[in-house]
Amino acid sequence: MESKSTHISTQELWARLFQAPTIDSYLNENNDALRLPDFSDYITALCRERNEVPETIINRSNIEKSFGHRLFSGKRNPSRDTVLQLAFGFGLTTDETQQLLKVARLTPLHPKVKRDAIIAYHLHNQKTLMDLQQVLEDDHLPLIGGKSYE
Amino acid sequence: MNDQTVSNQENQQTNNRNDNKRIHSANDFLQQINEAYANTNYPSAFTSSYTIMECLGERNGIDTFLVQNTRGTSYVAKCYDKSVYAPDITQDLLHGLDHPGLPGYVDSFENDRMIISLREYIDGTPLDRYIIEHTLSEQEIISVCIRICDILSYLHHQPEPIIHRDIKPQNIIVRLDLSVVLIDFDIARIYHQDNDTDTRFFGTIAYAPPEQYGFSQTDSRTDIYSLGILLRYLLTGSTRENPNIKIYRPLHKIIRKATGFSPKERYSDVDQMKQALRHANPGFQFLRTAGMIICIIAGVGLLTFGGIKLYQAATYTPFSEDAIPAFLSDEERIADASNYMRNTYHTEMFDNTDDIATIGTLRTVMIDLYGLDPDYVYGINTEMPQESEEYFLPWGWDDGQTVDRDIMIYAAIKVHDPSIVADWSSIKDDNGYYPGVRVAVAFADKTGIATGANRPGDISIGEMALILANTDRVFASADSTVSEP
Repeated sequence: MESKSTHISTQELWARLFQAPTIDSYLNENNDALRLPDFSDYITALCRERNEVPETIINRSNIEKSFGHRLFSGKRNPSRDTVLQLAFGFGLTTDETQQLLKVARLTPLHPKVKRDAIIAYHLHNQKTLMDLQQVLEDDHLPLIGGKSYE
Repeated sequence: MNDQTVSNQENQQTNNRNDNKRIHSANDFLQQINEAYANTNYPSAFTSSYTIMECLGERNGIDTFLVQNTRGTSYVAKCYDKSVYAPDITQDLLHGLDHPGLPGYVDSFENDRMIISLREYIDGTPLDRYIIEHTLSEQEIISVCIRICDILSYLHHQPEPIIHRDIKPQNIIVRLDLSVVLIDFDIARIYHQDNDTDTRFFGTIAYAPPEQYGFSQTDSRTDIYSLGILLRYLLTGSTRENPNIKIYRPLHKIIRKATGFSPKERYSDVDQMKQALRHANPGFQFLRTAGMIICIIAGVGLLTFGGIKLYQAATYTPFSEDAIPAFLSDEERIADASNYMRNTYHTEMFDNTDDIATIGTLRTVMIDLYGLDPDYVYGINTEMPQESEEYFLPWGWDDGQTVDRDIMIYAAIKVHDPSIVADWSSIKDDNGYYPGVRVAVAFADKTGIATGANRPGDISIGEMALILANTDRVFASADSTVSEP
């Protein structure tokens, strides 16, 4: 029964990371963009739920302090990388991260994107943001936080 | 130490032997990721220069990615899987087009499996999201539609006309400077006069005209139909006709004409629709009337005194395209409204804009400035039951109470046209709401009356002035529209 193919499809990899059928089913289930909560409300609630103060999350996310507070107060909208930094700060699972991206009205992590797969892997295995940056750098991929590589 | 290393090695061996479903080592897995993504269908010239950052969409065999070059500049890459959908790369529709409302063509790549077209990335907000985050006034909606008309006019007037065929809010990006860009040309096609019908359905059902289902060949009037639906959506929040929502009449006429079942019933050209939109702009109507009045005054010779005032009046265009309310801060709006009330009604009641407004203020305004009958306004002091259509304000409040924003809107509209907030307005419906207030608020949102008075609860004197001034202006421009030949 063992597969002879040495090449694993990206879809298969993704299924392993998420332990969910496909990303499509996830996206189809959650299509009602109009009913999404406000991003700042959502992360504030997330803090409360986890008995954390924003300060701690901002520190752990490696986000500049005043910018972090503006995110929590709703004065600034996050970029996709910022949301991913927060996901690490909160210690979210891949599913929870997808939800956070959705609330921020940003594109989900996607199996066709290698950088996303690496990010998902690190979230799934509760690795740190530092670990992730190291792997991205080794792979010559843009680091989280918008710093270009070269 | 040694023991541990040995046992680790043993573990690893066991794992490798056993199943390959589970991943035990980070390096293993990362290596697998590398392998999985190494063997892709993307042309190597593309992968060596660009990193895929996000997947923006996938459908009909076309993947759309946000990509980055080594300097961190973003582009949009449309990747066509040749086994599903193979456009002729030499006919990339955006190639050779140059318009600020279209994403620029950057480059293209091809191998035996895939074609990639690289385009400029437009930084902004899709219109569907933009209208959730910002309330657009009628004037702003008209302005957006006129800008789309300009882009479509450019496309339709190419030597070989290009029909976009998928005009919808998701495909319109609003930039920070409020300019708009039309994206997603996947299903755009060049119009060929010899084809009778299009064989395949593409597009988005709610915005697609009948011929896109195969009734006849799609031409530029296909885009006109979708633009009509878009206009309705922006005004009412729905792509379908809703008889309960009253649309400003000139715009309603435009929607009706643009969305005719047969292409023959529609505007024959997008420029015609643009012209109609410009004429429907309440600001345009207001300006026309204002212009005429100013000419008369100037003719009589009043220009000699108060020259500056007159100049201000002549250049003051509260609802014109050039002075979209969005550009004013709330403070500026309130200062403007307070001035307007002082100059129009010769009253100092609205000078202290920060004071809290009361029902007493509202009643005084209605009697002294708008000339309503005190018995009607103070109905509560008579022997009649409280919730009655006989009263201007049916709630039975006393003069000292504060005014709610929605009730202020109700009163401001009712003083101009009680038929909008119909007779039954003052009676609560089954849900405990006053339907008249709801109708008034909906009317206010559509006409821009509520713009700048954002607090749902109690309002200040300044916000009261703002609502009154806005309502005056809306009805002034509506009057001039009605008298249009």
